[in-house]
Formats: sequence, C-alpha cells, structure tokens
Amino acid sequence: MAMSHLSQTNGPAGSPGAPAPSGPMRRGAPVVKPKDMKGTLRRLWELTKGHRKGLTWMLLLSALASVSAMLSPLIIGNAVNAIDAGNPAVWILLLLLALYLTDWLVRFLQQFFMASIGQHIILHIRKTLFSSMEKLPLAFFDKRQHGELMSRLTNDVDNISTTISDSLSQLMIYGFTILGVFFIMLYENVILTGVALISVFLVLILTKTITRHTRTLFKEQQKILGQLNGQVEESISGLSMVKAYCRESMMIEEFEENNENFRAVATRALIWSGYLMPITNVINNLGYVAIAVVSGVMAAQGMISVGLISSFLLYSKQFTRPFVDIANIYNNFQTAVAGAERIFEVLDEQPEPADKPDALPLPHPRGHIRFSHVSFGYEPDQLVLKDINLEIPAGTKVAIVGHTGSGKTTFINLLTRFYDVTDGSIELDGHDLRDYKMADLRNAFGVVLQDTALFDIPIRDNISYGKTNVSMDAIVKAAMTADADSFIQRQPNGYQTVLTKGGSTLSQGERQLLTIARAVLTDAPILILDEATSSVDTMTEQKIRRAMLSITKGRTSFIIAHRLSTIRDSDLIVLMENGAIKERGTHDELMRQNGTYAQMYRTQMGMES
Amino acid sequence: MKLIFSYVRRHLAMFLTAVFFLSIETFAELLQPAFMARIVDDGVANKSISQILFYGAIMLGIASLGAVGAVMRNLYASRTSQLISKELRGDLYRKVQTLSFENIDRLSPASIITRITNDVTQIQNFVNGIMRIMMKVPIICVGSVALIIIQTPKQFPIMAAILIIAAILILGNMKLGYPRFGILQKQLDRLNDVSREFLSSIRVVKAFRAETEEEKKFTAAASAFASAGISATRVLAVFSPLINLTVNLGIVLLLWISQAQDASQIGRLMASVNYMTQVLFALGMVSNILNNAVRAAASSSRVQEILDEEPAQKFPARPVAFEARGEISFQDVTFTYFGSARPALEHITFTARAGETIGIIGPTGSGKTSLVNLVPRFYDATKGCVCMDGHDVTQIDPNVLRQSIAVVPQKALLFSGTIADNLRWGNPNAAEEEILEASRIACADSFISQFPEGYHTNLGQGGVNLSGGQKQRLSIARALLRRPNILILDDCTSALDASTEASVLRGLREHASHITVLLISQRISTVMRADHILCLENGNLKGFGSHEELMRSCAPYQAIYASQIGGDIHGNEPSFSN
Repeated sequence: MAMSHLSQTNGPAGSPGAPAPSGPMRRGAPVVKPKDMKGTLRRLWELTKGHRKGLTWMLLLSALASVSAMLSPLIIGNAVNAIDAGNPAVWILLLLLALYLTDWLVRFLQQFFMASIGQHIILHIRKTLFSSMEKLPLAFFDKRQHGELMSRLTNDVDNISTTISDSLSQLMIYGFTILGVFFIMLYENVILTGVALISVFLVLILTKTITRHTRTLFKEQQKILGQLNGQVEESISGLSMVKAYCRESMMIEEFEENNENFRAVATRALIWSGYLMPITNVINNLGYVAIAVVSGVMAAQGMISVGLISSFLLYSKQFTRPFVDIANIYNNFQTAVAGAERIFEVLDEQPEPADKPDALPLPHPRGHIRFSHVSFGYEPDQLVLKDINLEIPAGTKVAIVGHTGSGKTTFINLLTRFYDVTDGSIELDGHDLRDYKMADLRNAFGVVLQDTALFDIPIRDNISYGKTNVSMDAIVKAAMTADADSFIQRQPNGYQTVLTKGGSTLSQGERQLLTIARAVLTDAPILILDEATSSVDTMTEQKIRRAMLSITKGRTSFIIAHRLSTIRDSDLIVLMENGAIKERGTHDELMRQNGTYAQMYRTQMGMES
Repeated sequence: MKLIFSYVRRHLAMFLTAVFFLSIETFAELLQPAFMARIVDDGVANKSISQILFYGAIMLGIASLGAVGAVMRNLYASRTSQLISKELRGDLYRKVQTLSFENIDRLSPASIITRITNDVTQIQNFVNGIMRIMMKVPIICVGSVALIIIQTPKQFPIMAAILIIAAILILGNMKLGYPRFGILQKQLDRLNDVSREFLSSIRVVKAFRAETEEEKKFTAAASAFASAGISATRVLAVFSPLINLTVNLGIVLLLWISQAQDASQIGRLMASVNYMTQVLFALGMVSNILNNAVRAAASSSRVQEILDEEPAQKFPARPVAFEARGEISFQDVTFTYFGSARPALEHITFTARAGETIGIIGPTGSGKTSLVNLVPRFYDATKGCVCMDGHDVTQIDPNVLRQSIAVVPQKALLFSGTIADNLRWGNPNAAEEEILEASRIACADSFISQFPEGYHTNLGQGGVNLSGGQKQRLSIARALLRRPNILILDDCTSALDASTEASVLRGLREHASHITVLLISQRISTVMRADHILCLENGNLKGFGSHEELMRSCAPYQAIYASQIGGDIHGNEPSFSN
C-alpha cells in the first residue's frame, strides 16, 4: 500500500489561496466532504471498467495480508507457552515461519502489481478526462480558471488512485483486522479484551476533541496564508513599481507582518494537530501497562498462561492503531472522493453538440454567408447580439467595427461554432451551420486570433499546426505569403527552431505573422482575422496588412479591427453598437452618411477640432 | 538539503530540545516491554502481586514521563519548524527585493512566487518531520536492538545480522528510489506544462481541429508520468516487504534460539518479540521519509537557487553627492538582455536637457522601453554610459536616483489597499489637496469621486476592480504626486479614449513644464509636440530632433508618419477603444 503520494504540483501561481494537499502530516486539516459518496463510488467503479484487471485479486491479497497480522500474535503466544513449559516449539515456529513467508509473498505481489494497476487506472481516467474536456464547448473554458482545471487533470486524478485505492484497501485491512483481533481476543479472554477496549474509547474521544479544535485553526491558517501569498504575488509581479518608487523596505515590512501572523497561527494549528499522535501513543502505552498489570495478576493467580500475556500485549498494539488511523484515512478518502466528483463534473458537461445523423459534408465551401434574425447571449438573459440580419456573398471582404463590448468577437464565436446562436440562424452556402459536420465546417475557416497561441515545438510545426503530412515547400510558401519567411530564416535553426515559452522570444508582430502563416496554410475559403493587428506598431501593422491583402483575395473574409485605417478598403463595413448593427456600407458610403462611423473615423484621424 | 540544515543550525538549541524530548518520549515507549518482562519474570513467576503492581507503577510513571516528553516535543518541534519556515520565507523575500530585473527575468516571477509559497511549505513539513518521525526511527531501531542485547546477550549475533541486512535493504531502497522519485517529479512538471499549454490555447486547438495532436501530446506526457510512477512505486514494493520479512525472520530466530533456554527468562523473550515489532513499525515509515526527503530536496534546491542568485547590478559603495536637476545623457550606450544574442540597443547617444520633453517613437521591439529602463537603473548599460546631470547613474545611490524619477509603465501596476494608499506610493506624506490635484491632472478625479467611497475605495489585488483606462490614470496620478525631476511615460495612455488622452497630455504639459519627460508612444500625434523626438528602429537611433527636422531628414520617421497619417490631413490616429 506504499504508493506514491506525490500530490504537490508546481501548479499555477495564480491560485495562492488554494488549500494545500492534506497529506499524512496534516491531521485534522479541513476535509472537503463529497456530495454523494455512494453514487460517486459507483460511477468510479463503472468508469474503470475494463481497466481494473486484477484489482479484485489485489483487494483479496490485502485481506490475506491482514490475516498474518491477526494470527501471528496467537502463534507467538503459543510458542511462548511451549518455551515456558520447556516443550520444543519446532512445529509452532515452522508454522510462524511459513506465515511470515506467505505474508512477504502476499505483500510483495500486492504492492508490485498494485503499482501498475493503480497507474493504469490513473492513466485511463486521465485520458478519459482529457478527451472529454477537449470536446467541451468553449463556454466551459471561458467560465473557469485554467489553474483550477489543471488541478483536476493532475491532483484530483492522482488522488483517485492513490488515495481512494490506498485508503480503500487500508480501510478493508483495518476493518478486517479490528474484527478479527476483537473476536480472537474475546475468545481468548473477556476481561483482557475489556481492558483493551478502554484505551480504544479514550483514543476516540481524544481524536474528536482535538479535531474539533484544529478545524477552526486550520481554517484561520488558510485565510492568513491566502493573504500572505496574495501579498507575495502582488509585490513580485509588480516589482518594477516597488523598485521605481523605492518601496522595498515598506514591502518587506508589510510582508514581515503577514509572515509573522501566519507563523503564529500556523504554529498553533500545528501544535494542536500534532498532539493527536503522541497523546494517542501515550494512551496506548497506558493501555499496555494496564494489560501488563492485569494479565500479570491473572497469570500469577493461575487464571491465564504466560503465552496469553504475550499474545494480548501484541494484540493491544494492533487493536488500537487502526482506530487512530481510520479517522485520518477516512478524511483523506472523503477529500479524494470529492476530487472524483470534480472530475465527474467535467465528464458530465454537455460536449459540443454531435453532428446530426444526416449531417452534410462540406467538401467545397464557397463562402456565402447569411445571418437571419440572429440573437445570442452568453447568459440566456443577457443578449450580446440582437436580431442580426446580414447577407455576405462569397468573396466579400467584411470589416466589423465598434467599441469594446459591442459584440464583434461574438460574431466570430458564432461563425466558427465556438458557440451556437440562441435564436435565428446562420447559413453557409444555403444551409444552417448546424447542419454541417463540425470538422468540415471548421475546415472551412482559417482563423487568426487575438491571442497568438504558439506552442513549444519547431516553427514549421507551429505553422502546420492541426495538419498532418504538410510538405516543407507548402510551409515555406505560406510563411512567404504571410511575410514571415525573412525573420524565420534569421532564427538560429530556421524553420526547425523550437520555440520556447509560447514563442516569447519572438516579438509580438513576429508571433502574429506566424499565426497568419498558419491560417494561410489552411487554404480555407473563409478567413477570420480577429484584431490581428491590435498590439503591434504601425510599421508591422502595414506588413501584416499587406499579408492580409494577399491572402484575402478571392476569399470571404472577416476582419475585426481597432484601427479604422486598416479596414478602409473593405467591401462592407459593419458598425456594431450594443449588439445591433448600427450602420453598414462601404467606407465612402458611411462617410457620406455622416453617422457614428464617420465621427469615429474623424476622431481617430484627429480631424475633429 | 544543506540549506535546510543551515537553517536548523540557527535554531540548534530549540531543535535539540525537541530531539531531546523526542528521545524521552521514545525511550519511555521502549522501556515499557523491559518492565513488562520484569512483571512476567519476577511477578508472575513468583506469583507476587505486589511485584506486579510495583513494576506496573513504574511503567505508569514512565508512561507519564513519556507523555510529558511527547507534549514538549510537539511544542518545540512545531515552533521550530514554523520559525524556520518563517525565516526562510523572509530571507527569500528580502533577497528577491534586492535582485535586479535581469535576475527576475531569468527566474521568472511566477516561479519565484511558487518558491516562496509552496517550496517553503514543503521544507517546513520536512523539518517538522525530522523532529517527529525521522529521528524517532533510528532511536527506536537502535534502542530496541540495544535493549534486546542487554536483556539477552546471547541474541547479539542475530540482532547484528538483522540490523546489517535491514540497513543494506534500506540503503538499497534509498539508492534506487531516490532518483526514481526525482524523475517522477519531473514528469509531473511536464504533465502540468502540457495541460497548461493546452488550456491556454484552447481556441486555436479548436479552430485548427488539432484535438488529436493535443491528445497525443497529453497521452505521451501522462504515460511517461505513469511509467515513472510504476517504476518508483515498484522499488518500494520490492524493498518494503523484504524489510518486513527480515524483521519477522528475526522474531522466528529469537524464539528458535530461546527454545533451549531457561524458562525463567520468558518475560525477557516476550519483551524482545515486542521490541522486534516496534522495529518493524519504525522501518515501515522509511518509505514515507524517503518520499518526503525527495520533495524537500527538490524544494530546497529551488529555494537555494534564489538565495544564491548574485544581484546582477552592483551599487556604489561610496555614491557621489547628487542633487537631481533633470538632465539625461546617453553616451554611446549599448544594451543586451541577458541570454539574448542581439543587443536591444546599440550605440545610442543623445542628451535631454532639464525640463525638456523627449518623445520616443519606433516599432514594437525597437528598444523604446529598454531605453527608458536604463535611466532608473532597472537594467544597466552593457557598454557606454547613462548619465544624469553629468554623473554616471551607476555612481549614484539608487535610492536617491529613483527618488528623482517617476515611472508610469505600459501596464499599470496597482496594489491592494485604498486608492489613496496607491496614490501615496509616490509620496507617503502627500496632503489631501495634492492628491486631488494630481488626480485632476490625470483625469482620474472624475471617476474616483463617482465611487461611493471615493479615494478610500478599496482596490482588490492588482486593482482588479478597475478598467484598464482607470488603472492607467491612477498610475499617472501616482507618478505626478512624486514631484519628480524626470517623468517617464511608457505608452501609458493606450487604454484612454482620444479626448481623455488629449486632456491628460495637456494637463501634463502645463503641470510638468519644469520636469524632464521621456514620452514613449506608438502614435506620432502624441510625440509630435515634444521638444525632441528619438526615432528608434531595431535598437538603433535613426533620428533625434524636432518633428519638422525628422520629417525632413529621417526616413523611418517619415514612414511611420505616412503609415499613420498617410495621405490624410494632419492629425492623429489614437485608437478609440476603452
């Protein structure tokens, strides 16, 4: 049962207040209670179907292991009696030897095979979790913190196997041991069993008292830890300001205050929780004394044999120890089951809707798009888009402009079916988007998003991301179209250069050009450029604009831009305001209309007095 | 590990006290079977109840002594370990405050934060563990064996043999287990990295339908982690039952040899068996210790790395006497970031006289921020000299130097506390009116006064409850309150709408007429009115002069002008987002 408890992750720094993993050192630490223990365990059992080959055997072996614990004191007692009486104890000792050898074999087999069974179950659960997470709609990821999702993929999954299987088998062994030992003791001697029970009761009462106390202390500790970590995080990520304003000493002062507060509370919590073990030990020792004295008196009066003293002394230790551990194991178990519930929460999420049975393939999309009466809200009662009607013939260059929050990006989320419309419909080449096969539909779009997601893989693989069997020529050609070839050539290993830390060694503009090259390579009939030039300087912007011009030729394209100068030459400019289309037309038409667009344009160009 | 012990050494007295009480606690436990043997051998054998009660009383006394030991040990161990973790955390924090940005960049802020928080906790657990379990195991083992030998000297060879075998097994366990647990930790980090990358790129993954690719990557990482887990756990699976078996065989041997023995020693034999089971229990904790030690060692080396970090900058031992007026001059300055092959700035020479406004323009990555970062010594020039009022900045006391400079960074950094607290960063003793005035110039007063609690509104961590534009305005007001000689504005109006930006800049011009201003912007319209404009490209100075001069002589400047204002009439092109 000695499985790894490597639950500490180098998780995101963004979760300072996250509770520390409750390891064996943290007795009495706050327990997260599962909502539906029975149901969750049943589901776990179903989830691991086909992957727990041998698990039953392992549990059986665990039970066997406890048999040795139960029988050995009895046999030793017999041996002691034999020796005491001066009889040879050869057979008894051989029996003991056999018992120990079996115990060794059982333990070895159990632990050795459990290692791989446990890990395979973890791997299976982790893979299942990941692949179902991958199928979830974007809304799921937008609503949650990444750090929290990460800990589900790592900590929670690990806990299922290590803690649940560990504590399950431990609980089994303990339950078995307690019962077995209790009946053997009862059979051997009732009075001594009563003496042994007294210390058990004392231990149970003690545990309850102490845990009640530590629970509040740990809660307080957690709170102050959150403050301390928050202060550290804030001052270190803002170190440039601390230094610029010579605030180092004040920051240190503030930190020391938090640090000292934390020390005080943490010490108290640790002391209280630390009492549990030693005082239990002391009670055990007292129990030992009681049994030694009582059994000694009984033996002196000839009521029992010397061997029985020996058996009971060994039993008394075996009997109380499980009681101490059970409370702790059960707490860990509960926490782990609660972790499993968090995993099931993900598995239960509605995945992106599956393709309809008669879903249409989309082999050669032309790019004719029609919005009819489209309404959409991320929250059902808060519409972000209201009754949008828009006809976009294939090959049109559309620009969407408007203030932040006017619903520009939502357009794109709907087109790519990251989200589905709440009302109305979007049609592509005459059919509702939802009638197509999702894979084919997404193939129809080449996307350049605001966040330049680059991966820690070679540049060429970043460009061909999502595609297999792409020739080097095609990659270079795409890079040239995107005007990225020249800077890629300058990298130490050209196209083979492995990016690090999401491409942070490249400038923002270079990263953006790489993602444009990626979109070029998809050769999709519809292009989406979401603020592709928002965070680059005007020189790079021109470069990107040139690249965009050459790739939008002959394609339906959607451009979302901050700077109106970039979209002047679009075929259609759509001005969004509060989720509705306020104005539409070409640049010249809108300027003539002299409405909001014209005003915005003039403000941007500094033409207003 | 060395690090941990050096901190333990600082509190050696407390640590040893804890170990002392731990020894009392452990010995009290160890002595019980010895007296139990007396009960059997003297009391039961002679049927003397008084003897039994007498030894029982002694055992009771010893148990009470053990209880005192346990309580005291717990007090001292808890205090010591928490004290050590507090000091370690404090030392780390203070160290980080002395580091230069070069160091911080190298270590990455996120990683520094984890080290101060998680790793220190890990070490604290370990130190506490030393005083609880780690010292207890050897005491129990050695003590038990010693007591067995004292009571029954004939058992010495067996005991010696068992001890040696168990020691070899434990050593083998450590030797094979330690590196494997190290690998396991590495694979776990890798799994975390892969998950993080996936989650932060989810949009792109979906848009490019790279699900299979990502799944492959994740499965590979998860499988590697699983294999590492199996290999590490199997080492324990091989060794810990073997250790159990060794001790159990010892029990059998003990009994075997005792067969020929005199029956009057039966109590001692029973005690010996008891001792063996105690040894067994103690050795069972070895794997736990191993696991903890691996984690603590990893944490300790991560913490050590920060403590060993040499501040990349040296501060003058005897700084020059310095009274800032506000003249800045760069003399042939070249600057390269650590670990970068290409200089961020090359051969920059220019002078800004006190009270002048210098506009700085150029494409992203052209070195604008790098240039201004050299003035308050966030970084030091690799070659050449950055001077203030004729003194090399490296010769000036950094506190005096920074006292005369106010920086408004691109990303407005605010801290938890009230708005007034944040503004007072620039000047802790600023009066109410000063705060109001600075806020008015920065166009911040209008929104601050709309909050129900006005200037006493509490900001969350990093000012989360404010919009980008609001944060920028607060950050400008904070800088103004400092009454600096030099004001550095690093593209800090990007989130303001055009009219607010214009009025902030106007306010600055009026208020800051005596201040030297370094004004970075992407927009030509923002820098146009500056006394001089620095035009940068790829870290090189392409032009230095007034707008008119640069329009005549500087090609890159003309190109920027054309790209922003182009064929249109004069004017600017601020973004309208807010």
